[in-house]
Amino acid sequence: MYTNRLWLVCSALLISHLALGQVDISGKVTDEDNAPLQGASIVVEGTTVGVLTDADGSFSLSAPDENSVLKITYIGFADQRITIGSERAFSIAMAVAASSLDEIVVIGYGTAKKSDLTGAVSRVTADSYEAQPLTRVEDALQGRAPGVIVARANGQPGANFKVRIRGVNSITGNNSPLIVVDGVQGADLSSLNPNDIETIDVLKDASATAIYGVRGSNGVIIVTTKKGSGPGKIAVDYFMTVSEVPDLLPTLADNPADFARLENLRRINVGGNPNFTDAEIAALEQNGGTNYQEEIFQTGISNNLQISASGSEGRLNYFISGIYRDQEGTVINTGFNQLSLRSNLSAKVNDRLTVSLNLYANRDKTQNDFGFAGNGQGSLVAKALTWDPTTPVFDDNGEFNFRSIKGIASLNDNPVRTLTLSDAQFTDELLTSALNVDVKITDDLTYTLTTGTQLRNFNNETYDVEVGDDFLPHTAFRNNKSTSFQISNILTWQREFDVHDIKLTGVQEFVNNQNIVNGWNANDLSLPRGFYFAELAPNAGQTITNNFNERELSSFMLRAEYILDNNLYVTATGRYDGTSVFREDQRWGFFPSVAVGYSLNSLVGNSDFLTSMKLRAGWGQVGNQNVGPYSTFGGLGFNSYAFDFASAEAGTVLTSFENEDLTWETTTQTNIGLDFGFLNDRANATVEFFVKNTTDLLLATPVPAAFGGGIINRNVGEVQNIGVDLGLGYTIIQNDNVTWDANLSASWVQNEVTKLYNDLEQINGLFTSPGGQSRVLNIIEVGQPLGQFQGSTFLGTWKTAEADQAAEFGRAPGDPKYLRDEDGEIVFGAIGNGTPEFVWGFNNGVTVGNWDLNIFLQGMHGFDVYNIQQAMITGGAGDSRSFMASDQVNQWTPTNETDIPATVQFYNSSRYIEKGDFIRLSNINLAYTFSNLFNNPNLTVQLYASSQNLFLITDYTGYDPELSSRKGNQGIEDVAPGINIGAYPNPRNYSFGAKIGF
Amino acid sequence: MQKYFISHSFKFTQVMILAMVVSLTFVGCEDFDLDEDPGQSQLAVLPYESIAEMELAVTGMFNRVHRALWMTTSFASSWGGDDLTTHRASNKADFREYDQRSVSTGNARLAGTWNGCYNAIRAANTIIVNSMGVTLADQAKQNQLTGEAYFIRGYLFQHLARNFGQIPLVLDIAPDFEIGLASQAEVYAQIESDYATAESLLPAQSTLGGTRPNAGTARAFLARLYMDWAGYPLNDAGKYSQAASSAKQVIDNSASHGFALVPDMATLYTLAGSQNSEGVFTLSHCQPCGHPNRKTGKLGLPGDFGGWQESFAEIRFFEDFPEGPRKEATYHTTVPLDENGRVTADVANAATLLPWTEFKDQQNPIFRKIVGPFEDNIFNDFQASRSDYLMRYAEVLLTYAEATGRSGGDTPDAWEALNMVRRRAEGLPANSPDPSVDITAGDLAELAYTERKWELAGEYLRWYDLVRMERVEQALGGTARNPQVSIGTAFDADGNASPMPLTVPSNPILGSLSPDAYFSPLPPDEVAQLPNLGK
Repeated sequence: MYTNRLWLVCSALLISHLALGQVDISGKVTDEDNAPLQGASIVVEGTTVGVLTDADGSFSLSAPDENSVLKITYIGFADQRITIGSERAFSIAMAVAASSLDEIVVIGYGTAKKSDLTGAVSRVTADSYEAQPLTRVEDALQGRAPGVIVARANGQPGANFKVRIRGVNSITGNNSPLIVVDGVQGADLSSLNPNDIETIDVLKDASATAIYGVRGSNGVIIVTTKKGSGPGKIAVDYFMTVSEVPDLLPTLADNPADFARLENLRRINVGGNPNFTDAEIAALEQNGGTNYQEEIFQTGISNNLQISASGSEGRLNYFISGIYRDQEGTVINTGFNQLSLRSNLSAKVNDRLTVSLNLYANRDKTQNDFGFAGNGQGSLVAKALTWDPTTPVFDDNGEFNFRSIKGIASLNDNPVRTLTLSDAQFTDELLTSALNVDVKITDDLTYTLTTGTQLRNFNNETYDVEVGDDFLPHTAFRNNKSTSFQISNILTWQREFDVHDIKLTGVQEFVNNQNIVNGWNANDLSLPRGFYFAELAPNAGQTITNNFNERELSSFMLRAEYILDNNLYVTATGRYDGTSVFREDQRWGFFPSVAVGYSLNSLVGNSDFLTSMKLRAGWGQVGNQNVGPYSTFGGLGFNSYAFDFASAEAGTVLTSFENEDLTWETTTQTNIGLDFGFLNDRANATVEFFVKNTTDLLLATPVPAAFGGGIINRNVGEVQNIGVDLGLGYTIIQNDNVTWDANLSASWVQNEVTKLYNDLEQINGLFTSPGGQSRVLNIIEVGQPLGQFQGSTFLGTWKTAEADQAAEFGRAPGDPKYLRDEDGEIVFGAIGNGTPEFVWGFNNGVTVGNWDLNIFLQGMHGFDVYNIQQAMITGGAGDSRSFMASDQVNQWTPTNETDIPATVQFYNSSRYIEKGDFIRLSNINLAYTFSNLFNNPNLTVQLYASSQNLFLITDYTGYDPELSSRKGNQGIEDVAPGINIGAYPNPRNYSFGAKIGF
Repeated sequence: MQKYFISHSFKFTQVMILAMVVSLTFVGCEDFDLDEDPGQSQLAVLPYESIAEMELAVTGMFNRVHRALWMTTSFASSWGGDDLTTHRASNKADFREYDQRSVSTGNARLAGTWNGCYNAIRAANTIIVNSMGVTLADQAKQNQLTGEAYFIRGYLFQHLARNFGQIPLVLDIAPDFEIGLASQAEVYAQIESDYATAESLLPAQSTLGGTRPNAGTARAFLARLYMDWAGYPLNDAGKYSQAASSAKQVIDNSASHGFALVPDMATLYTLAGSQNSEGVFTLSHCQPCGHPNRKTGKLGLPGDFGGWQESFAEIRFFEDFPEGPRKEATYHTTVPLDENGRVTADVANAATLLPWTEFKDQQNPIFRKIVGPFEDNIFNDFQASRSDYLMRYAEVLLTYAEATGRSGGDTPDAWEALNMVRRRAEGLPANSPDPSVDITAGDLAELAYTERKWELAGEYLRWYDLVRMERVEQALGGTARNPQVSIGTAFDADGNASPMPLTVPSNPILGSLSPDAYFSPLPPDEVAQLPNLGK
């Protein structure tokens, strides 16, 4: 109905333009069967002259001249272009457009038509993200693939993203999906150039991932890079980005006089003396203080240049690209730069043999990643937020003030000094190659050899001045060199007999990874001259680090695909994997899956609205071998000790325990999906429901402290994920002037730990509160999702009327009040959860003439943030000695008994649990395309302006609820999501760029 | 197209074969070996085949002992003593709980003590288990190393027993999830056995200060064990005589063990004097090696000067402390400031010497034993290479005197042991009788007990003396800790000072002072993992 009305409006507009034509033409538009098509659009290209066909499919119009080109479009049919020439009467037969269902999807060791799919596969193509200036592949995935949850770790350029497919399975293991690039496994999304990518296919359910066996349990992301074809093309894309921290957080640094008054009160309240005199407070009132947020934040400018050349020449196809980017962070002296080159060459040696070699080299460098500075007392942002606003950055001699002059607020080093004088360079160098040899042995049988190598050097050079009270700088060097190779032999046999279509795929594969770590620490440099003066460290301050490990995987896979009459689709697979990380008896695992698809088009009948429907159901098992090499062995680690106060000797100590019975964890998943096509595939929908059970978890179980602590890897515990993925696509408007495509991707996951071990109902996490309050902030609880926050329940303040009751616990009015049990002990339990339940992305592309507008909204819902950063700002405890929160001016007094405590408080309390739900305008981009510039039809120039993170709707009071921050050795991120100890803020970006193609 | 194919078809089979050969060669080059070889980069846990392996393990064990003891955490119980206190607010809640005798199960220091000590016990057990039945070429060295492992295990069991009372006796590496608490007598018997085994294996003399224990170290700790055994909770008074004879044995062999009092007590608490003859068992620290001491320096300094205000001196104890060189070696009563009001190491040219009674935040004397002499310039560091005396020879002398008295003895040797410590406290030569300080009559046990109070103040030992004699109530209860004579200072909003008598201790007692609250509760996480500990 809506669309019909729209046509009328458009017709009226078009008719009004039927002006003084010089060539009068007429004709009839029909489908392939000669049935008339009503409402087909005929437009003279480059003009506003156009008309719609009537009920007979007939039209007539006046075109400017005989050289005019007619463009005929009709939903569901392929566009046609016809030059008028001498013809005056046209009979135009439209061909049905290649449906989106005919798209070829990569399913691993082969491809399948999207319409033939039986498993759960989400596809993201360049079309959906090219309107967003991207620096990362993860950005392209975020909110665009149903079932995939992508969360930015923090706003530092080059920072990690967390990518999860259908929830998380492992409590102590890695939950990252397997990344396969051009058939080679084990890549890393972060180092890829998003411009090189043709498609990203996400295998979600076990029937799809079972072909990757013991590596498939976290889902698989298959990236296919571009290939060249047709005449040579050069594409240049340059954009500049201006980044800023959206909003500074309010603290008492905004009003240092109030800060000083409260500091005096804090001390007087416990019987001490004031720290600031009235004269000092008056001076602060008049002159203000130093807000360290302003001191560490800056506006960052970034430049991105991407160039590619592609095309084909005879039997050779090429795609060659390069990228250079230089990003400044929004925190001073932080940044990222990257240089990468790709060469994808493919040669069709003869009709039966195709050889292709893809080479990719990348080097990127992160400057002053926050990880270099100890996070034990919160990040550098947390330190800036809590730093003494009455101590200036520099003293009278222009030297840095190292610490708070009065020993108040943050006890840490001046964060401006740390950021200015420290220099931590993390360099990541990568060289990957993928060689594919395709041999068509007979018309039915194909052999493919895929070999891949990956060389990666991760090099960390740190010069750190935030080192302790002697201020003698520390240096650290680590080089992590990993080498891997993969060899896959693939045989594919396919044949059609009448209504039967059978395809068999057999794979034999071998994968090897070697990892070497070398490094040293040289501490207490006698001169503060920088990293390359590490020799200035005393011998006692020099230590070395050295390690080697290796893992191997040997596999066989068989897949059978059967299609009956394009109606019934059956896929069955089995993979047999042997992994070196388990002992001989426990090494080999078999991972089966089966899936069925059935076309329900017969049910649909001849409906104009619902035009296709398909039901899919699948079941399968996949494994996870994600423990480090040598995990089944007990072993000794190295340490040292000095018996003479001066020179350390090497020592060894038991650090790991043997478990010969260790084996893979198993994830069993059932998936049911429904695919719908509406309005001749102008709209489509996919809904999928899944149940995923992970058993025999590879769990690093704590050894009781009485036996020395540490962990033993055991196969214990179970986790369940239940969820729904929803994908909707709709071309809301499509006519000759305007198109509006909208895509909605939504994922809902309910995660639950269903079983632990030894009948335990809960185990503590490893994330401890910063700043001298070493309480555990997270907990794993049976019956609850991962990511439970642990803490006390804040009940406001003890009031004067409760003085006697408070005294029983050694408390006084004005002190914080926490929930206590019957024994009077403060109760520490679960007080929130940081795992989002619902995530969505809504992408809109509107084209009006030469204008393109993209609006991309995203949201995450159903999770909490443990805002420890705000606890540290509130302060009065730990290493944040003074109160810094703005609301502290309303703290409890005998005459105004508010619920803001006037004395020392816990960080780990429900006072700092906040709802994290948010909606973000992830991208808005407006582009204008100039075509046919300088009469050159091959030259296109697009200019665009865009903003990322232009607005954020949330009740959260910190910088950004999506971010969480990590301390070292605090367990995996999925067990401690949403804990904020001072994450690098997510910037708001404004980008301006040009894309030039010729 | 067809033509092309024909002309090249003969090559096709060759290429295919080549591709397969290449792929198989790749596979063939690499040993298709899925068996891991951790030995390439990691040492296995196996019975020792060489002294070198065993030496590595013992050094590694001392690393763990250091890790257990390098911070105040494992000494938090000692804030229960009447010598030590802490900041009344700030982030010192864990220490305040001990200071106020109201220790919650969530106290992080409680778990920290437990975890640290047992982690080092595993290192000791690793050595004991892997040297069992092994005979290495250098028998003397093997004995020494084995003896060190036994000594360390005994020491850590005793430290745990002093904190928690009954504990699980972990003697093997493999976790036993059924383990329960041993009885107090079993705990003491195990410690006794470990020390005795150590004594039988260790050489008479080791390193200066006993940074590595010797036979005398083990015997001296047996004396300490018998003192505990004779007191609360078992109150087996018969053990006093064993304490006396053990201490006497160490004193009699002090020359061969290399134990002696240093002439000037003040040098014990300096960087230069950290390793000395008075150490019976000294924990060595090396800051640049990454093995610092985090109990000294700014931990004892008030917040006024950027200190961590963790370890302050109790005012009443300070008031009662007999004047003299020992008091001066124990406390700082003033802080030297430069013209900018900052603490200076250049004490001689300090602009002002600010008395503790004029500190702005919290007025308590400072332990010189902790902050060090200002000239040492570690006052502003939270980590230093200063020593910890896990036992000083002075304690052996006083143990001998007290144990002799408590077991009914009254020997000249015992009085002499007491008098040696008293003479040194006055700055006099320890070995030269001096009638001005010597005493030879009176309640020997109580005189020695009181002498320990002053001699060992601020060394995290006083609390255990209160516990074994069941004198916690007496020392902490009522007005026992109320300052009597100290006059502090109040400052008004303009910074003007006025005198203010100090009448109450910094942190009031909140919890029970009765013996059933002497020991810390077990860490709840541990009880959850090992349920039999709760039975």
